[in-house]
Amino acid sequence: MTNEKAKISIKASATKGRSAEQARTGAASNSMAMKLLNVEAMYGTFRAVNNVTLDIEAKSVTAFIGPSGCGKTTLLRTLNRMHETLPGATVKGSIQVGGADLYDPSVDPVRVRRSVGMVFQKPNPFPAMSIAENVSSGLRLSGTKSKSDVADIVEESLRKAALWDEVKDKLKEPGVSLSGGQQQRLCIARTIAVEPEIVLMDEPCSALDPLATLKIEELIGELKTRFTIVIVTHNMQQAARVSDTTAFFNMGADRGGYLVEAGPTSKIFTNPSNKLTEDYIAGRFG
Amino acid sequence: MQAGSDAFRTSRRSGELPFRLVTAAGALIVVATLVAITLALLGRTSVLWTFVDPWTFLTTGGWNEVESPTGEITASYGALPMLWGTLVTSIIGIIVAAPVGIAAAIYLVEIAPKRLATILTFLVEVVAAIPSVVVGLWALGELSPRLRDSIEWWIASTLGRVVPWLSEDATNPANSSVFRAGIVLAIMVTPLVSALSREVIRSVPQSLREGLVGMGATKWETIRLVILPTARAGLISAVILAFGRAIGETVAVVLVIGGGATLIPPTLFQPGSTLAAQIAISYGEAGTVGKGALAGLGLVLLGLTLTLSTIARLMLARYNRQGRG
Amino acid sequence: MATAPRAQSELRFALSESDRRRMRVNRRMLRVIQLATFVAVLPVFLILISILAKGLGTLDFAFLTNNPLDEPVGIANAIKGSLAMTGIALLISAPIGIAGAIYLNEYASTSVQRIGDTVVDILLGVPSIVAGLFIYLLFVPILGFNGYAGALALSVLMTPVVMRTTQEVLRLVPAGLREASLALGVPLWRTTIFVTCRTALSGILTGLVLALSRGIGETAPLLLTAQGSNDAVIDLGAPLSSMTMVIYNNTISSDPVKFAQAWTCALVLFAIALTLNVLVRFRTINSRVL
Repeated sequence: MTNEKAKISIKASATKGRSAEQARTGAASNSMAMKLLNVEAMYGTFRAVNNVTLDIEAKSVTAFIGPSGCGKTTLLRTLNRMHETLPGATVKGSIQVGGADLYDPSVDPVRVRRSVGMVFQKPNPFPAMSIAENVSSGLRLSGTKSKSDVADIVEESLRKAALWDEVKDKLKEPGVSLSGGQQQRLCIARTIAVEPEIVLMDEPCSALDPLATLKIEELIGELKTRFTIVIVTHNMQQAARVSDTTAFFNMGADRGGYLVEAGPTSKIFTNPSNKLTEDYIAGRFG
Repeated sequence: MQAGSDAFRTSRRSGELPFRLVTAAGALIVVATLVAITLALLGRTSVLWTFVDPWTFLTTGGWNEVESPTGEITASYGALPMLWGTLVTSIIGIIVAAPVGIAAAIYLVEIAPKRLATILTFLVEVVAAIPSVVVGLWALGELSPRLRDSIEWWIASTLGRVVPWLSEDATNPANSSVFRAGIVLAIMVTPLVSALSREVIRSVPQSLREGLVGMGATKWETIRLVILPTARAGLISAVILAFGRAIGETVAVVLVIGGGATLIPPTLFQPGSTLAAQIAISYGEAGTVGKGALAGLGLVLLGLTLTLSTIARLMLARYNRQGRG
Repeated sequence: MATAPRAQSELRFALSESDRRRMRVNRRMLRVIQLATFVAVLPVFLILISILAKGLGTLDFAFLTNNPLDEPVGIANAIKGSLAMTGIALLISAPIGIAGAIYLNEYASTSVQRIGDTVVDILLGVPSIVAGLFIYLLFVPILGFNGYAGALALSVLMTPVVMRTTQEVLRLVPAGLREASLALGVPLWRTTIFVTCRTALSGILTGLVLALSRGIGETAPLLLTAQGSNDAVIDLGAPLSSMTMVIYNNTISSDPVKFAQAWTCALVLFAIALTLNVLVRFRTINSRVL
């Protein structure tokens, strides 16, 4: 256990070091997994997210923090074009992944979501499927891969999600028969099975107990070596533990959310540039 | 890992549109069926209107059509006796079914211990599972003579002395009667009243009940002062829906009400007819105009069911909207 | 010491005269309600006893396998006819009803949904004789009485049942499941089939059984479309016998032997209807649909 922890913290500090350096020197765009430019998200005429310009670094963890209702989840859902599935919801601005704009009119949202995956707040394994079927559902429903490949990918994904040892003997059991924390790791395995570049996480631990939360946080530390992770959390301490970059959002006078400050986690938590950030971190509001 | 806009452009959306079209077609067919039924009935009645105008159709009786040797047709069709029969039988049915069904619902939801409630609920629902022709058979064979000899005789010999409409010829009581059809409807419709009322009563918030019990009220007082008033709109909607179902019942009524009376029976205890029963009885010998008359009956029936169903839905919406605390 | 507190509490919480009256009223009213429930349940027993008493006598293997023109009389053609027409009606109603329910629940806008719900409500309330009359007016004068018309008339009544129950179970599927599937990059139509419908599958099947139980017990629509026949051969293009028609025709006949056979056929039909209904109850489908 301690060895793993040591490995993770070394990796973490190594990445942190890298991102801090890049922040100083102006990062080259090929280490940016995602660039947000003037992104706005609307529900009808109500602007839930105001003008956000932000860079998400590749193979690192970026946390969105801020008080409730400041649009963090709404913004997250624009990153995989899920926001627009709600009636009347629209997005302005551009979000680029590898130079391609997700919101270009020629782009199919379905295709986007295979590159940008999402783990939800409440674990939602498909009840009509077994554990193995859940993990492979993304692959099978998108119609790719042969049968033998699928089995291998299932095992690999479960290993990467730190769940394999616990379920390898009961792959045919229903997905809903696992505990809450295991279900969430199952959902993570399911998401990474389709090999997205970026994994979005919407408060993934808020429905879990502290032990399960700890396991997921460790998992995030391992996953970021392969994936870019953007995590929304209302738990500041979690953001401090888990992320390399933190973006702090707040609610404006028009009840819409806006980006206050973004930067390396260590800096945001110890020496933020904006007074509002400092107040929030200190717990003076939110 | 791919990069570049092309990565996002390729997709297999081929399945989306066909799927949407197929499912929309399903919905469309259902809507079209309703439209078709209305249009077909309307269309068929057109031949009727050349002989009888709608007002006369609805307000008089008589049911015959004669084709003279020269091919000339004289026809007179009146739906009034059937309309009257439909209303009277359904009203009798609902007068019995509503209190019994609602009371049973109260018992099952508020009073009965859980296991008893499950068994009794099942038993009440079983009546709804009996095919209507089987109920009709039983009604004709068992219920009808017994009702005639007991309740009909009793009412006729007491109230019937004062109210001629409730009298009967004691030496020759009829084999079918409007009253008995009403009782059969009551039996068939009670489970529906009970089921719908149960839902309504169950949805009364627990907090209201607790408030009254906390004040020291008895069970009956809780029912009378809180549950019934709160559930009132919903219960009314349930009764109206059941009434609508009673109106459309055909086979059980046919077997008990008589062979297609074409006039309004002078007393309650004599054979009569209903809209639904008349269609079932006279479709066989219907001439061209006759078919139009049947369609007319069907239209009236459809119109009645539609109106009642709409009123019931509005009342249910009102119940759901009202603040229940 | 044991009695003193008791006397104290009896004194403190003694019942007044009005209390006693209220409790009397309460007991009386509860008894009335119990009686009403008894009245509601009574017909079940009466009908059940009659069916068994009168129907069991003539019930034997020959009754189920012979035809009306054989000796002794049987209802084999009626059983086959009922199954054939209800089966075909289900083949028509199931795809249309399920497809329509999917469209209304997953794709339609709120206003279209409301229209659809109203239409289904109305169709559910259409009296069965009107459905029969509709098909009769459309087909019988030209084609004569036949089994296909009977199946069509049944499907007019069965489709709204399938549609309403499917809608209700689809509504119960949590939105989170659809979202999870979409987030994996699965298109909406595949999500609907392989996630939403798959989750709701048992409910959808129960709806089909419910529709079946409605169809097999109907008389009025068949009266006007398929009539009945004594033919041993099942020909859907000609008048076709069914269990409900046999009961109906035998009941109105003046022959006591036929009347007795009506009871036996009723017993068989009721057994089938009850089995289907019990299957449904164990899934507790909303009885408002029937």
